[in-house]
Amino acid sequence: METVSSSIPLENFIVLSSMLFSIGVYGVLARRNAVLILMSVELMLNAVSINMVAFAVYTAPSLFVGIIFAIFVITIAAAEVGLALAIVLRVFKNRGTANVDEIDTLKW
Amino acid sequence: MTQVFFYLISAVVIAGALGVVLVRNVVYAALLLIMSLMGVAGIYILLSVEFLALVQVLVYGGAVTVLVLFALMLTRTGELKEKLDGEQKPLAAVAAIALLGTFLAMIMQTAWPRDVNQLTVVPFTDIGDALFNRWAVPFEIASGVLLVALIGAVVIAMQEEGER
Amino acid sequence: MDDAWVLPALPIAGFVVLLLFSPWLPRKGDWLAIGLMGITFLLVLVIGRDVQNAIGDGNFHGVARSWQWSNIPGVLEIRMGTFVDQITLVMLFCVTFVATMVMVYSTSYMHGDRRYGWFYAIVSLFVASMLTLVLADNLLLLYFAWELVGLCSMLLIGYYNDKQSAAEAAKKAFITTRVGDVGLLIGIIILFTQTHTFNIQQILAMAEAGDINSKWLTGAAICMFAGACGKSAQFPLHVWLPDAMEGPTPVSALIHAATMVVAGVYLVARMLPLFEAVDGMPELITVIGLITTLGAAFIGLAQRDIKRVVAYSTLNSLGLMMVALGSGAVGAAMLYLFVHSFFKASLFLASGSVIHATEQQEVDKLGGLWSKMPITAPVFAIGAAAMAGVIPLSGFWAKDEILAGVYHGPVNHAALVLVLISLPVTALYMTRVVLLTFFGEPKDHHVHEHAHESPPLMTVPIAILAGLTLVAGLVIFEGVGKALGFHSGWLGFVYNLGEGPEEFKVVWWLSIYSVVSVGASIAAGAWIWGGAAEPSKRAAAFSPFLYRMFLNRFYIDEVYQLVIDKVVLAAGQAVAWFDRAVVNDSGVNGTGEATNYLAFLAKYQQTGKIPNYALGIVIGVVVIAIVAFGYRT
Repeated sequence: METVSSSIPLENFIVLSSMLFSIGVYGVLARRNAVLILMSVELMLNAVSINMVAFAVYTAPSLFVGIIFAIFVITIAAAEVGLALAIVLRVFKNRGTANVDEIDTLKW
Repeated sequence: MTQVFFYLISAVVIAGALGVVLVRNVVYAALLLIMSLMGVAGIYILLSVEFLALVQVLVYGGAVTVLVLFALMLTRTGELKEKLDGEQKPLAAVAAIALLGTFLAMIMQTAWPRDVNQLTVVPFTDIGDALFNRWAVPFEIASGVLLVALIGAVVIAMQEEGER
Repeated sequence: MDDAWVLPALPIAGFVVLLLFSPWLPRKGDWLAIGLMGITFLLVLVIGRDVQNAIGDGNFHGVARSWQWSNIPGVLEIRMGTFVDQITLVMLFCVTFVATMVMVYSTSYMHGDRRYGWFYAIVSLFVASMLTLVLADNLLLLYFAWELVGLCSMLLIGYYNDKQSAAEAAKKAFITTRVGDVGLLIGIIILFTQTHTFNIQQILAMAEAGDINSKWLTGAAICMFAGACGKSAQFPLHVWLPDAMEGPTPVSALIHAATMVVAGVYLVARMLPLFEAVDGMPELITVIGLITTLGAAFIGLAQRDIKRVVAYSTLNSLGLMMVALGSGAVGAAMLYLFVHSFFKASLFLASGSVIHATEQQEVDKLGGLWSKMPITAPVFAIGAAAMAGVIPLSGFWAKDEILAGVYHGPVNHAALVLVLISLPVTALYMTRVVLLTFFGEPKDHHVHEHAHESPPLMTVPIAILAGLTLVAGLVIFEGVGKALGFHSGWLGFVYNLGEGPEEFKVVWWLSIYSVVSVGASIAAGAWIWGGAAEPSKRAAAFSPFLYRMFLNRFYIDEVYQLVIDKVVLAAGQAVAWFDRAVVNDSGVNGTGEATNYLAFLAKYQQTGKIPNYALGIVIGVVVIAIVAFGYRT
């Protein structure tokens, strides 16, 4: 395995990841449509992946843990998206809406 | 040169992400999501992990976005002209900025363990070896999870009897 | 003698067996209880011989034996055990003997009662607790036995528990003695904190050596004396004893003669060195005893119920014993206790026989029973004469000793005068009750015609008791003591271990006064109540005020009732209000309602909208991150 010198410091990737994650959080909190929320969740997942890959290649390359983890995150994200969209469809069929703030039976 | 690329791609990623959470048209949001995620693939290339970049393009650019678009279509989100944002939008902004501030403060304060200007180039073959030797069992489990999730999605979304 | 623990163990065994199996035993197991009691009595005689031999060796300090009860290493070791000396021995003898007689008597008196087996079980337990009480070598064990005695007395006084008055008398006895018991417990605790031991002999030694802080010692002495007052029905806690007549008559005999009221006297006698170490304590004991003995004597003059008269004579006697103890005359007090147990038991059992025969307790409706009850009547008369102090019956000798003790004692001679006043009064009311019950014209012919002598199972025990009443006082003489196998007379045998034997001494003018005054007052009594009804009416009319005071027991019960109604109940209402308004409504309910209200407010944060929850999660993450980060830097 060879190492090369990079002109981009690690912090840059982490800051990017943080910003992406925060935007995702904002989307999850601010949006009311379930599909848009899922899209925001994808942003958060990607932010995490960037974070892990960056750390992997910069600080802990052995066993490629971060990279493998990113692969799993993508896999699980795919599964999650499929499942979650199925649920959204089912909710829409039953309730006629995909807006999460209209689904509020979970209260007193 | 690489730095220029990095900032460019980062701008694409952030702009796409902001678009996803801000625009008022759901189809635009989905397309901006593709843009953002493709940007992330570019970031992976900058990190010299081309394999991940390919996977990113395949999975997100292909499968996930198509799924999302289908979902938007099926839930008729675009046609109903509803408000897309919830009541707690200002609070959400505050919380997100606070979170970002916390992250940035931590990044500034943290002493990184190694010389962080050296990155390791990871060849395709090594990732393949690691994935199918050292991480074979998690990999198989992940495959199982994916399979179960897809079957579950089909079962959940399937029309029940008597349903129109 | 080391194995004195067997004495209470036998009746306890009887209690357990009777309690569990009495319905299936022949005769409901009374033979078992009586047999065990008889064996216990015989064992007491054996112990008596041992004690006598031990005294013969000289330098006798009592026989103690104890077992570890509980042990917290390095902090506290509590032992329980037995302690036998002469005072214990006298108590043991009285208790077991009277209990045996009472139990035999009861087979006839209680015959056919629906709770016959229960009666014997409880009497066994009663005796066992009393034996434990007198044998106990430490105050803790003594206190347990003390409470057991109180419990048993309540159960037996309230034996006819379907009778309202009996239930109330039981309650009264229990609560009144309980007032004193609390005092006793406090006293024991004070002594323990000061001496770090419960052992009576050690405490006494420390008290005599002046090793206990005198303030604490005074407090402890007063508290313990309060306990003794409660049990021994001394003024002002005497009110329960006359009401205790509601129990079956054998129980009354047991309570008065053996197992209950003498416990207080025993306690004072046992702890006398401690009391004497406190300034003013002997005087207090004397004063309480005097009030009790005089008050009871006067009240006895006017009572109409035969058992009540006898009950007040008990108060009279107990007061006298306290007076003797206040003067330090342990031997005299124990002698009086000894003979008292015989004559009081015979008085009670004889009056029980009268009641059994006539089903009538009011002396106004009795009369002329002498010929109808040829055994009961003389027994009662002998008991009454002994109580009155007629020479040469046992009561005379004991009273004489008490007079001499008070005369020689350290206490003010005013006490002696008051005791001397009480003597003829006692004789007077005993004469009255005998005359009204057994002599004169029958006042109620129906009752008189149906009267009959009781069966032998009742008359034999009371005859034995009366026989002892006749002669028991003679043990005061050295010759009699030696003839019974002792080294000396009573006073040479029964004494407080720290003080050594006393000489039998006669104060002639006191003895002569005693004989003369008692004789005169009997004669006066015979004149007033013996013949026509006229003199007794005149006596009652002599001072209607005094008569009413005597009849109504100086209104002490009424005063107590008033105090309870006005003060205790008012205080109770205040506490009840506090409990309801503050503790319950504000405290308990308030807590609940406050929680309820807060929950009512708080439930609105549960919107059911997932974005709200998600926002909460994010804010929580930020806060935790800031806190954790702040800790790290």
